[in-house]
Amino acid sequence: VSELIRGTDLGILFYFLVLNTFYALLLVLSIPEIWEQTRLADDEDFQRLMQSDALPPITILVPAHNEQRTIEASVTAILTLHYRNYEVVVVNDGSKDETLEALRHAFDLYEIPRTYPETIPTKPLRALYRSRTRTKLIVIDKENGGKADSLNAAINASRFPLVIAVDADTLIEADALLRLTRPFLLGRQIAAVGGTVRVANGCAVRDGIVTEARVPRGFLAGVQVAEYLRAFMFGRLGWNRLGGNLIISGAFGLFRKDHLLAVGGYDATSSVEDLDLVVRLHRYLRRRKIPYEIPFIPDPVAWTEVPESLRVLGRQRERWQRGLVAAMWQYRGMLFNPRYGRVGLIAVPFYTFGEMLAPLVEVFGYAITIVGLFFGVVNVSFALLFVLVAWGYAMLLSLWAVVLEEVSFRRYGRFGDLARLVLFATLENFGYRQCAVWWRLRAFLSVWRRKHVWGVMTRKGFDPVTK
Amino acid sequence: VTGRHFLAIVAVVQGVLLGALLILIVLNRWFRLRRSARLRPRRLAVEGVMQRWVMGQTALGVVLVQLARLPIPLAVDALVTWSARVPGERWRQLAVALEREWWARIVRSNCRSGRWWKRLECARFLSIAATPGDTARILRLLHDPHPAVHIAAVATLERLESPPLATAALERLPSLAPTVSAYYASMLRRSRAVVVQLLLAKLRRTGDPALPRLAEFAARLQEPLLREPLTALAEHGDAEVRVQVARALGSFPHAASLAALTRLVADALWPVRAQAARSLGMLADPASLRGLRAMLRDPDWWVRLRAGLALTRFGAAGRNALLEADVGTDANARNMAHLVLGLSPQALAEFAT
Repeated sequence: VSELIRGTDLGILFYFLVLNTFYALLLVLSIPEIWEQTRLADDEDFQRLMQSDALPPITILVPAHNEQRTIEASVTAILTLHYRNYEVVVVNDGSKDETLEALRHAFDLYEIPRTYPETIPTKPLRALYRSRTRTKLIVIDKENGGKADSLNAAINASRFPLVIAVDADTLIEADALLRLTRPFLLGRQIAAVGGTVRVANGCAVRDGIVTEARVPRGFLAGVQVAEYLRAFMFGRLGWNRLGGNLIISGAFGLFRKDHLLAVGGYDATSSVEDLDLVVRLHRYLRRRKIPYEIPFIPDPVAWTEVPESLRVLGRQRERWQRGLVAAMWQYRGMLFNPRYGRVGLIAVPFYTFGEMLAPLVEVFGYAITIVGLFFGVVNVSFALLFVLVAWGYAMLLSLWAVVLEEVSFRRYGRFGDLARLVLFATLENFGYRQCAVWWRLRAFLSVWRRKHVWGVMTRKGFDPVTK
Repeated sequence: VTGRHFLAIVAVVQGVLLGALLILIVLNRWFRLRRSARLRPRRLAVEGVMQRWVMGQTALGVVLVQLARLPIPLAVDALVTWSARVPGERWRQLAVALEREWWARIVRSNCRSGRWWKRLECARFLSIAATPGDTARILRLLHDPHPAVHIAAVATLERLESPPLATAALERLPSLAPTVSAYYASMLRRSRAVVVQLLLAKLRRTGDPALPRLAEFAARLQEPLLREPLTALAEHGDAEVRVQVARALGSFPHAASLAALTRLVADALWPVRAQAARSLGMLADPASLRGLRAMLRDPDWWVRLRAGLALTRFGAAGRNALLEADVGTDANARNMAHLVLGLSPQALAEFAT
């Protein structure tokens, strides 16, 4: 038994070393990437860009389900974005409240016939509307089919070659679309591009615009600020140099429509439709040897409200993990498959072993250590030192994300916010990390039981300008 | 070294790194605040003298002195910001005066730098402060391997009329990605005289694979001299060329344009028909009223919409045509006429753009 425990401990130690070496690699790669992106962002002449007619036209897809109270403000905010050529397709996904009436009243809608083919099959459409006051706006009323189904309906109706999916409750910065199109203006062969999603909780918001970025005082929301920064500022930036991202956030990602149509749009059965879509895009483009990039650029920003209750957050994280497990299982053929290049050899293995299996390994590690301690096989001081090193490393990564934010965009201007950010980045490992592991473990259980619950996100709404 | 020793070393290193990161975060914030406090008065001084200089209340030399007090990237930023606000002749005086400035000479010399961000800074500077003596530098930057650099360099054409630069940019235009090509086109519009002559020759090469891009560009220029070669392309085999021709001819009120558009409204492809309908609306010639009325029955919704919108530009005659269609027997025409008649003037204006 003691040999088995010792062997398992060594295995876990090896896993820990490999995974953290990889994180260190991402960390190193994020440095030149943020430097280049910051320089490009600083030197961009938006005035000149806005005046030229070079900007590619974009369709903004807005799925809405029971958003009666906020839909008018959200759509109005989207219609005031600084961009020259775009249209907005709002999909009322079988709302049970008065979402459609609110839209009809606010934008003077009139019904038009459907004149485009249903390229991607969706739930039946009830009607299609245009606005008499806002010609950029199209509204689709359809039977309830979920977010992915709504996005597919919007893609079918879209006219323009680029589409961006935006949650109705996400606040997009006015110049975000301009910034998001930078890779296209640089002549790169872009299949999709993602921007940063930041936490809106605690921020001052006026007329759908974040006027002052703040770090919330609550622990749960505050920790998520550090977590989002880590995920975006160094995780995804690092992946830019390793063959592209496997995730483009569903709340804020720009896609080439022809590629989306070629892969059949969003998968309505997936619980994490954004991950599933990007993996399918990689697979499709690699198989056909179409040159492409799926980069992440940090300066276009969308703000989203994150859960502030453990129950809602737990459901959200469980769903994310469930989607990851399902996607990695569904696309297991890409794992270590040289046909898919760096995506098959680096990204998919990392997401499978480093992200998907991490909670299992972590809990298994805790359990085996306890058993080892019980049998006297594992030395107490060694075990404590190991835990200290593991948590210290996680802290290091979070603080690195704060450093990247500080040397580049510095959204959180006040010293108090910076101090809170550092504090939350440090405290993340005490309690929150263990909860996250538990939620992610529950996802394995629900995958095993084939239970698919989306969960309801309870939103508090954005604070008006106060402080 | 035992496993425990190894972990202990890692823990110590981590502790040191954590401490270093914390210090880095605080120092970085402190340093930036200090720098910003130090530079703010200089920036404000530049703003002030620029404003006074534009109003003729101070000499150019004072502006140059204040600009030289800023770090080079900030001086370039200030120039970029002010370039949009200062009238042409006055700005040219500044550009000429900058040739003698030490820091501007450093920026200019960066066009040969091995670092792309230095070349980008040079291209940005030249895009607003180039003089005819910079042509060779800009030509070099126009062929820069970094896209941000050549895109910044092409903006020079907005201010500097130079046949060699315009020719180089136009030669490059068709081979660029569509978005970049469109950006080049918008910059080339300022060098109209040179570009039109080049386009006249290029549009006659009907087998040129770059023709769709060139026709698109020619359409944007709305130059009367280009009407004839564009009309000749109305029956070109490439649909994209026909779309661009249909779009362009709306800017040329001429019998030949009308004749070409009348042929294009019968095209097999709906984008061509839609653009032709739009252009007929722009020309608003009474002879095309009948054709547009018939297009309200087109199988494609977009063509019907464009025809309906075009009819609104014919005044009372167009409105009567729509009212007739509104009570007519054809369901498609009826729906479209109903839709267009219900549009607000604001909506009609938005559709027109």
